[in-house]
Amino acid sequence: MKIIVAGKGGVGKTTISGTIARSLARSGHSVLALDADNNPMLGISLGVGPERTDELGTLRQALESGEVAHQPSTAGAIETFGTDAPDGVRLVVLSRIDRADPG
Amino acid sequence: MARAMALRIAVAGKGGAGKSMIAGTLARALARRGHSVLALGTDAMPGLTHSLGAPQSLEPALADAVEPDGRRWRLKKGIGPVRAVQRYATTAPDGVRLLDCGTPAGRGADPVYASISAFLQVIHRLEDAHTFRDWTLVGDLAAGPEPAAVNSAPYADTWLVVVEPTWKSVLTARRIARITRSRAGKSTLLVMNKASDSGLRAAEQMLGERVFAAIPADGAIIEADRAGVAPIDHSPSSPAVHAIERLVEALERASIDRMVKS
Repeated sequence: MKIIVAGKGGVGKTTISGTIARSLARSGHSVLALDADNNPMLGISLGVGPERTDELGTLRQALESGEVAHQPSTAGAIETFGTDAPDGVRLVVLSRIDRADPG
Repeated sequence: MARAMALRIAVAGKGGAGKSMIAGTLARALARRGHSVLALGTDAMPGLTHSLGAPQSLEPALADAVEPDGRRWRLKKGIGPVRAVQRYATTAPDGVRLLDCGTPAGRGADPVYASISAFLQVIHRLEDAHTFRDWTLVGDLAAGPEPAAVNSAPYADTWLVVVEPTWKSVLTARRIARITRSRAGKSTLLVMNKASDSGLRAAEQMLGERVFAAIPADGAIIEADRAGVAPIDHSPSSPAVHAIERLVEALERASIDRMVKS
């Protein structure tokens, strides 16, 4: 199944997404958790820890540095640029805004 | 009353931290202390309208201020910040004017894009508008670090970053503060919202710095939201509203200090 979680800021999108992902993994699903927020915090709710969540590499960085070009497939990109969260959930962060936009 | 000194404030933070509540209550409290206040709703969510107690508009306010220009929108001839505020701003209690970028109304995206485009063009000209030199500006920004990264508040000299005592909120505040502090000449102040004594200590430890002000967790704010009434009207003597009134005084002092130093 493919699930999208949306809502106003602060209502609990990330907490619910992370807990759903962990629960599904515990009941036997292979789970890919995609953090598509440009202020990505899903790692915290998945149990990766705040400081690590703050420093996770993103797919966008990988694309900009040209690393992804060496990855022939989506699966390869997930393998290389994802992070393991507890219960075997694989976490992939798309992008993070953490500096002033020069443009 | 002596004319109050103009402040230029942007309110940023994680979603749900209380940006709109603080921006709206701050704007009303500033107006009560004699400021001429222009509130700027830079978030396509209607939170600021509610916290100011301003009339709700059903249309994206500024859509009529622009005309198509190729694939972009251009402000119509003769429309600058002064006329935009005259024509398109609403008036909240205490005389606060509210210029809002507009909320999607469900009739297609075009009016909203037009309104947001007009809004952005207007706020980029605010600094140069002599009429507003003595006005206090209070901007309520969209959630997260993006408004800081793209500088959605070019008029602001003070960024209030609202943070509550959770890691998600703290990491967001740190990201925002890192960005705003990378620009010269701006002051970045952290404001803890929904603070208990233990939450405040924990959050300051997570942040790695002291906060400029703390606004207590206060059931009156939730009741005001449920009633659809501005907190300053619903619960004027609540602890949270009092804390925001003290924040106003602290911001005035900080502004005077900055002026003396420069």
